[in-house]
Amino acid sequence: MTAVRVLFLLLGVVAVGSALLVVTTRRVVHAALWLVVTLGALAGCYLLLTAELVAWVQVLIYVGAVVVLLVFALMLTRSPTAPVADLTTANAWFAGIVAVAVAGVVGTTLVAGFRGEVIDLAGASIGGAEAIGTAVFATWVLPFEVLSVLLLAALVGAIVLSTARARRRDREGIHDGVHDGEGSG
Amino acid sequence: MPLLYPLLVSTLLFAIGVYGVLARRNAILVLMGVELMLNAVNLNLVAFDTWHGDGLRSGQVLTLFVITIAAAEIGLGLAIVLRLFRVRAHVDVDRVRDLADRDGAGPETGAGPEVEIGDEWAGDRTGEPVDGSAGRTGDGESVEEADRPTQPARSGG
Amino acid sequence: MSGLLLGVVASFIAAALALALGQRGRRLVATVGVAGAGLATLGSCVVVAQNLLGTLGTQTLTLAQVPTGGLAFHLAFRADGLSAMVSLLVASVALAVQVYSVTYMRAAPRYPSYVALVSLFTSAMLLVVAADDLFVLLVGWEVMGLCSYLLISHHWELAAARDAAVKAFLVTRLGDIGFLFGIFVLGTAADSFRISEIQHVAGDLTTGAATLATLLLLCGVVGKSAQFPLHVWLPDAMAGPTPVSALIHAATMVAAGVFVVARLLDVFQAAPATLVVLALIAAVTMVGSALAAFAEDDVKRILAWSTVSQLAVMFAGLAAGGYAAAVLLLVVHGAFKALLFLSSGTLTNVAGGNDLAAMGGLRSRLPVTFVTMTVGLAALAALPPLAGFFAKDAVLGAVQEVALRGGALPRGAAWLLLLAGLVTVVLTAAYCTRLWLRVFFGPAPTNERVPTSEHGPTGQDALSTAGGAHDVEASAEVSALMRWPVVGLAVPSVLLGLVALAPMTWSGWLGGGPADADDRSLLHVSTTLVSTLLVVGSIAAVVWFWREHGQRDPAELLGRARPLIRSGFRLDDLIGVLVVRPVWTLSRAAIAGDRDVVDVYVSGAGRLARLLGGALRLAQTGNVQTYLSLLLAGVVVLAVAAWGAIT
Repeated sequence: MTAVRVLFLLLGVVAVGSALLVVTTRRVVHAALWLVVTLGALAGCYLLLTAELVAWVQVLIYVGAVVVLLVFALMLTRSPTAPVADLTTANAWFAGIVAVAVAGVVGTTLVAGFRGEVIDLAGASIGGAEAIGTAVFATWVLPFEVLSVLLLAALVGAIVLSTARARRRDREGIHDGVHDGEGSG
Repeated sequence: MPLLYPLLVSTLLFAIGVYGVLARRNAILVLMGVELMLNAVNLNLVAFDTWHGDGLRSGQVLTLFVITIAAAEIGLGLAIVLRLFRVRAHVDVDRVRDLADRDGAGPETGAGPEVEIGDEWAGDRTGEPVDGSAGRTGDGESVEEADRPTQPARSGG
Repeated sequence: MSGLLLGVVASFIAAALALALGQRGRRLVATVGVAGAGLATLGSCVVVAQNLLGTLGTQTLTLAQVPTGGLAFHLAFRADGLSAMVSLLVASVALAVQVYSVTYMRAAPRYPSYVALVSLFTSAMLLVVAADDLFVLLVGWEVMGLCSYLLISHHWELAAARDAAVKAFLVTRLGDIGFLFGIFVLGTAADSFRISEIQHVAGDLTTGAATLATLLLLCGVVGKSAQFPLHVWLPDAMAGPTPVSALIHAATMVAAGVFVVARLLDVFQAAPATLVVLALIAAVTMVGSALAAFAEDDVKRILAWSTVSQLAVMFAGLAAGGYAAAVLLLVVHGAFKALLFLSSGTLTNVAGGNDLAAMGGLRSRLPVTFVTMTVGLAALAALPPLAGFFAKDAVLGAVQEVALRGGALPRGAAWLLLLAGLVTVVLTAAYCTRLWLRVFFGPAPTNERVPTSEHGPTGQDALSTAGGAHDVEASAEVSALMRWPVVGLAVPSVLLGLVALAPMTWSGWLGGGPADADDRSLLHVSTTLVSTLLVVGSIAAVVWFWREHGQRDPAELLGRARPLIRSGFRLDDLIGVLVVRPVWTLSRAAIAGDRDVVDVYVSGAGRLARLLGGALRLAQTGNVQTYLSLLLAGVVVLAVAAWGAIT
């Protein structure tokens, strides 16, 4: 039981525990906050696995941007801060069964496949910025460029989805649904 | 460390993410479940990369890519959720049932399916504003578009 | 030979032309119709002339052979004395009718189709007459039936006409089933379908085969010639236009049955049982229909019943083997019955209907018709020296010969026929006198209102409405085109009988008859005297009743039985109960069976599919999370299955 293992187990427990809380808590905002904990723990896991750049990017993007976005969305959709009773659907039992089954199947597969393997952390080359950067811009440059296009598309899409309606509503004035909606208005 | 440690953690995270996607009512919480799943995948990739140790660093690079894509996806997904909120004034996933195959089914039929077996082909049952007008929260034309793909066929008759 | 075929072809072409011309050239259509009938008459005159000069003999012509894999049949035609005489009758009556119709049917909306159908009918009847192969005869037979159906329902706006046409069609078709099988049996028994060969081997047929064949043929004959029990269609067929009644239902089509029996008399005489059946049918029909004619109130129906009765007399003659006598009566009857019908067309126009009650004292208004109808009625009643007298007595004489001296027909049947014949003579004279008195004498009907006869305002087509009749009150006599055919038909009614005076002439003209019928002369003094006395007595009785009882209807002599007799002894009701109602019940049962048993499976299949679809629809809840859950569950199951398969 080296220190790395212990730490990893700790972080793993934290991650799983807070993930559980994300999906079971009755307060919506708390879910977002527990998500932060999960993501942070995962960043620690990455560090332990010598993936430094990934850990840093995880914190930057996920914790820094994604969760913020989620909180903003929660705010814009006027989510209640008080506990909400029916945050879980009626089919949750079936979802639980499915989740357990998934876990079982995947876990069994992994255990069967990689039972005795050990990660050699001492001999692994550190995934620092230089190493990862070289890999990205040497070997993986094409997917990288495509990814930028993807980001552009997502950006444009998000803008269109968010503003197109508002613009049109301003243009056509107030138009409540008095008519019975035959055809396309 | 044994490879199984991170793998098992990722498995558990993935399962929890599945549960979150399938069992949560709020759309944003569903998206959080999706994030959990993606993170599980990332952990898996990183663990395998470190264990495998080939010079390509494919696992960690792919993880970066996944993070990027996840960010883009959640941006777009939340835009859609906001759009949904503007139209329906709620973001409950299981109240959006327009894909249901029911006669006279429309939005807001959160109740169980109204089954009419052997019913005549009432493809366009016009003038049935049981649910039709309830969903129109003062937004006339927007209702017809993305929210109700089958409605023009039905109400156009 | 060629004259006969000319008639067939010319009439057929006239029919086709008339149809093609359609409504565009009505005058042209009239010309085409008359020309077709005229050519046919010309052709048959040529053949008759050849026959009279003795150069005809028996000619046959075979155009083609139709191989059937079994017994082949031929497109064969035959010209002999019988064909010549009957074809002359057919063609001349057709010509008279076509000429008459030019004026009578002038206002008819469907005149071109009428002309076409009459021409087609003429062609078919001439085909029957000229046929030497049973199947060629059958073709003509059936086409005649079709034309009859179409012509009876010419005024298809009237429900009575439509119903009558369907009734005629169904009843005659019923007989034609037997006719068809009779042809098969006869052909296979004689090993040929050609009439000439059948006539040769008629004596060699076994009695059983001959009886079966002739009984089956008799079915068709009874239907076509309106004998009991298939006579019910003829009185109702009077709903058709009057010229059609004259041509088809008096002179020609109904006589086709008589013609076929005469043609095949050799075979009939080889089957005594059939002769007995024929005699019984003839006896019953003769008397019954004469009674019905006496009780009737509609001029055309009286004439129709009279036709049935006279046909029965012809059949009586044939049953007794009196070939020449029966054919003489056939020809003569065709002439005077057509005369009577065409004259009654005039009566219908003037009185606005066929009802006797609307007629009376028409002697002054219709002088020419008075004369022609008197001639016709006298011929019908068999007053000497008109043709009907000679023909009727020839038949009765033939029957008497068989009764006294024996022949193919058993004597008992012959005596029955003789008795029935004498009763019929009395009744015939009675109803002729009654008709004559009520139409031409007596008080004119007081109100000018149009009384509709119980069979609808038939014959309203030409000089149509009562208003029109009212206008022409002074000289209600008809135009030349309607007059001359009638007058033309009166001539043979008067004169043709005189041929019976010269012994063997008529038989010589006919030729080709059955072997043992040739040496009978057509005059038998005893029957002639008896029947003449009966005729005179009957006429006197009716006239006495008329005078003594202030010109009341002599049919009142029938007393309370009159309604029963007038309705044809309610045979129609009997048929309704025995045949029509069971058929309707059966058809309703079939419908119910189809709908409730068979269709249940069909619609049940549809409903089952709907049910299953409805059940499947339950899964489409619209809840995306449900869909996803099920999806993932499926994936897990697949993974486990794959795992199991691998390990």
